[in-house]
Amino acid sequence: MPYNVQPGVIGCAIRPAIADRDRSLEEVIYDTTQQGLADAGIAIDDIDGIIVGCNDQLDGRAISVMMASGAVGGVDRDILSTPSGSEHAFILGALRVASGQFRTQLVVAWSPTEAGSIPEAERLATDPYFHRRLPLDELSANALQAAVLEHAVQGLRDVAATVLEKNRRHGALAYPDPPSRPAPGVARWPLAAGTTTRPVTGCVALVLATADFIAERGIVDVAWIRGMGWATEPSFLGDRDLGTAPALRAAAQQAYAEAGITDPIAQLDVVEITDATPYAELLAYEALGLCARQDWAARVGDGTFTREGRLPVNLSGGVQTFNPVFCTGLIRVAEIADQVRGHAGAHQHKNVRNGLAQAGSGFAMQYQAAIVLGREQGALA
Amino acid sequence: MELMSRQETWNITYTHALGETASWFYGQIRDNAKLYGRRCAQSGRVLVPPRSFSDQTLQPTTEWVEVGPGGRIETFTIVYEQFQNLPDPPYAFGYVLLDGADTALGGYFKGVDLTDPAKAAEKLKIGTRIVTRFAEQRTGDVLDFWYEVA
Amino acid sequence: MSTAGTSAAGVSSERVGIIGIGQSQFTARRDDASYPDLVREAVVLAMNDADLLFDDIQAVVYSLSPDAMVGIGNAERLGVDAVGARNKRFLRINTGGATGISSVAAAYYHVASGACEVVLTAGADKVGECGDSQTVLNKIWDPTYERQLPLGTINMLAMSAVRYMNFYGLTEEDMARVTVKNRWHASLNPNAHLRRVVTIDDVFASRYIAWPMKLLDCCPQSSGGGAMVLASERFIRERNLDAVWITGLAHCSETYWLGDRMGNNPTADHADAFALGRSFQRAYKMAGITDPGSQVHVAELYAPFSNTEYHAIDAAGFCKPGESIALLREGQFELGGRLPVNPSGGTLCTNAIAVTGMIRVAEVALQVWGRAGAHQVKGARVGIASGNGGDHQFFGTMVIEA
Repeated sequence: MPYNVQPGVIGCAIRPAIADRDRSLEEVIYDTTQQGLADAGIAIDDIDGIIVGCNDQLDGRAISVMMASGAVGGVDRDILSTPSGSEHAFILGALRVASGQFRTQLVVAWSPTEAGSIPEAERLATDPYFHRRLPLDELSANALQAAVLEHAVQGLRDVAATVLEKNRRHGALAYPDPPSRPAPGVARWPLAAGTTTRPVTGCVALVLATADFIAERGIVDVAWIRGMGWATEPSFLGDRDLGTAPALRAAAQQAYAEAGITDPIAQLDVVEITDATPYAELLAYEALGLCARQDWAARVGDGTFTREGRLPVNLSGGVQTFNPVFCTGLIRVAEIADQVRGHAGAHQHKNVRNGLAQAGSGFAMQYQAAIVLGREQGALA
Repeated sequence: MELMSRQETWNITYTHALGETASWFYGQIRDNAKLYGRRCAQSGRVLVPPRSFSDQTLQPTTEWVEVGPGGRIETFTIVYEQFQNLPDPPYAFGYVLLDGADTALGGYFKGVDLTDPAKAAEKLKIGTRIVTRFAEQRTGDVLDFWYEVA
Repeated sequence: MSTAGTSAAGVSSERVGIIGIGQSQFTARRDDASYPDLVREAVVLAMNDADLLFDDIQAVVYSLSPDAMVGIGNAERLGVDAVGARNKRFLRINTGGATGISSVAAAYYHVASGACEVVLTAGADKVGECGDSQTVLNKIWDPTYERQLPLGTINMLAMSAVRYMNFYGLTEEDMARVTVKNRWHASLNPNAHLRRVVTIDDVFASRYIAWPMKLLDCCPQSSGGGAMVLASERFIRERNLDAVWITGLAHCSETYWLGDRMGNNPTADHADAFALGRSFQRAYKMAGITDPGSQVHVAELYAPFSNTEYHAIDAAGFCKPGESIALLREGQFELGGRLPVNPSGGTLCTNAIAVTGMIRVAEVALQVWGRAGAHQVKGARVGIASGNGGDHQFFGTMVIEA
C-alpha cells in the first residue's frame, strides 16, 4: 500500500429519493448528509474536508456544487468538487485522508431527474466538432458496445439475459419496492425491451477517516481501503475497441497491486459492478479478472455470481434496480462498504472480509475505477 | 486557410422541485401578498428567503415568521449593460433586510430615475429605508414584488 | 518556514514540488485551435518545461469550470487525449473560478497521499465562444430564489463594491488605480490578454457596466490553456530536478446565499472575503507563516474586478480590512513596491476561467523560481496564490516557496 495513512469508510447513506417534490434537491442532499453522519456516529464538527460529485448538465445548475455546499456542511470547511464521476469524489476524498493532512472526509454525490430529457443532457457531452449531430447518448453508446460484444461472443444475448435476471432477483431482496423500473419499449438495438432501467433521483454519502480517528472514537464497523485504481478510455468511441475494457484492466491492476490481490475469485467475497447494461457487467468480469469471455456462458450459467454462488456480484441489484445515473458509481462503493461493515441490511452477505467495487461512467464506460475494501487494516498479502 | 465554425445551442428544460418550504413561501406571496422567513431555533436567526435548514447550524428551521413590508437596503447595483437573456438595461436591483428578518432578500428597486448613475446610486445607498410593493397579478415568484424608496 | 509538512494527523510527509509550467499567450479568440488543441498547447509547454515523457505521468487532474462556458458537457472527456491520460488515473475538478487552484490542490493530494510520484494538471477555456459568459453565470444561482433576479458575476461583485465603499470608503478612483497598476504589470507579461497601459482617466471614460463598475474595472473573456507538473520530493531528488515547493494549501467556503452575507451580523460579509481569509490562515499555518506582511514577497490574488483586489489583499493578511486602499495608493502593491500583488497583471487582465486559478499558482511559482521575466519581483522566495469560485463562495489558497 502506497498511502501515508490508510483511510477507512466509517459511514454510508444511500438514499433513493423517489417521493420527489416535497423536498428540493438541496434538501435531499442535506437529508442524505445527515444520515451519513449519523451512520458514522459523528457530528459535522468532526468533518474537516468534503468532496462532492455532481454534474451541471443533469442538475440544471452551473457549478452545481454551489447549491449543495451548505447542505453538505461546506460553510467554513475545505470543500472540493468533481463533475467527472461520483466515484472520483470518493477517490479524491480517500487521497486527502491518505495524505495525513485530514482526519476525516465527507463524500457526497447526487443525481436528480429534473432535466426534461436526460439523454439530451448526455448528448451535450458529445464534441461539437464531429459527433454532436449524431444521436449519441449514453444508451446509444452502451448499445454500440453491446453490438460489438454480441458479434465477438456467440450466444451472448442469452447470457446477458441471465445476468439481468440475476440482478433483478438480487434487487428484489435488497429493495422490496425497487426504485427503478425497467424502461419500456425497445431501447436501442441490440438492447431489447426491459434490459435497461429508468433513471430516478438518488443521493449517496460516505464518511472516510484515518486509523487514528477511528481508534480514538472506538469505531468498530470499518471498511478499510486496501486498494484503489482508476483510469480512462480515450474520448472518441471510434478510437476505442468497444469490445474490450483496457482502462478497467489498468484500474484493476492498480487496485489489486495495492491490495495484494492475485486471485480475485478466491480473495474477494462480494463484488458490485456498474451494470448500466448486462453487457457492461460481463465485460467487467473479464477486465477485473473474474471470468474470461470464453467462460462467460459457463460461469453465468452455473450461478457463480449469484447470491448463492462463489462470488456474488451486485447483491444490491445493481443499476438494474436503482439507477440514479450520475451517482451509480459511488453507490457501488457504498454498497461494498456496507457489506464489509455488516450494514447492508436485507441483502447482507455472510462473512464478508473483502469486497470490490467497480464504477464505470460516461459513454460506454469511458471512466473506470476499481476499489478494494476490507475488514482488516493493511493489504491482503 | 479558411477557418470554419459551427453554431450550437444548448436547449434543455428543467423542472426543479421547490420543496415544501419554498412552495409555502411562494403560496403566501401569490395568495396573500405576504413575505415570510424561517427561524433557526438554535441561532434564533430568521432566514429570508426561508430555508428548511440553516447552512450555519445545519439544524432544521422550526417556525414561520412574517417579515416586511418595510426594510433597509443592504446593497444594490445599477446595470447599464445589455447581457444576453437578461433584461434590457438600465435597471437597479439588490438586497434588502426586511423588518423582522436577519438575512437579506433580493429584488428589483423601482421608482428611481437611473439616467445619472451617481445620482441614482445616492438615492439607493446602503441603509435607505424601502417598502415592498406587490404586483396585482401574482404568480408565486420573487418577481411578484419589488422595492421602492420609502 | 517549514521544510517538511507535519500533518493534522501528525504524519510527517515529504514535500510536493512543482517541476513544470505551461501557459498559452491568452487572447480573446483562438479560432485556429479547437478546445482540446488549446489544452494540448499548454500540456506540451509544461511537459517540455519539466523535461519529462508522458510515460512519467501517473495521473492527470483536469481543470474545467462550468461546461457551458465551452459549450461541451463533461468536456474533460474530450480532453483525455490532449493530456495523454489514456488508461491512466484521471479526474476533473470544478469549483467555478477557483477550479484552477483546486485542480493544483487535487494534484497535490495525489502526490501527498503517496499514491503517485508525478501528476499533471491541465485545462483550457474558450470563454469567447460561449456568446455571453454572464448568461451562463446567471445559471449558477439557485432556481428557487435567486436566479430569477438578473444576477451575474459582474452584478454580484458590483454589490460587493457597494458594501466595501460603505464600510471602508472605497472610491471609484481607488478602483481605477487597481486597473492602472495591473494593466501596467500585464504590459510586461507576454502571456497576458489585455496588455495596453491605461490611465485613471481612461477608466473613468469607459462606460458603466454595473454601477460602480465600468468596463475597465472588469476582466476580459479569455481563451487559452494552462498546465503544471507536480512531483514528490523523492522523485525530484532522484531525477535531480529543479523545483519549487507547495508548502501550504487550503480551501474554505462561505454561504451560497448572497443575502446571508449581509443583514444582521453575518458570519461572512459580502463586502469582504471571509472564507478567503480563513483559507489563507490555514495555508499559512501549514507553511509556518506567522506574519504574511513581512514573510511573503509576492502575491497573485484572484481578482476579476478591480474592487475585489482590495478585499483579497485584506484577506491575505497584508493589512487590516480597508487599509489596502491607502497602501495601494502609496504604491506598496505594485512592481518595485513593498509586496507586489498580481505582477502578471492578474485575473483583471486575463481570465480563461477554467485555468485562471492555476495561472495564479503558476505565476507565483515562476516568481519564486526567478523565472518570471520582465515582471519578475526581485529576490522573491516566498509567494502566495488564491482562487475564488462560485458566487464568491469557494476560496483556494497556496503558499509556494523556492
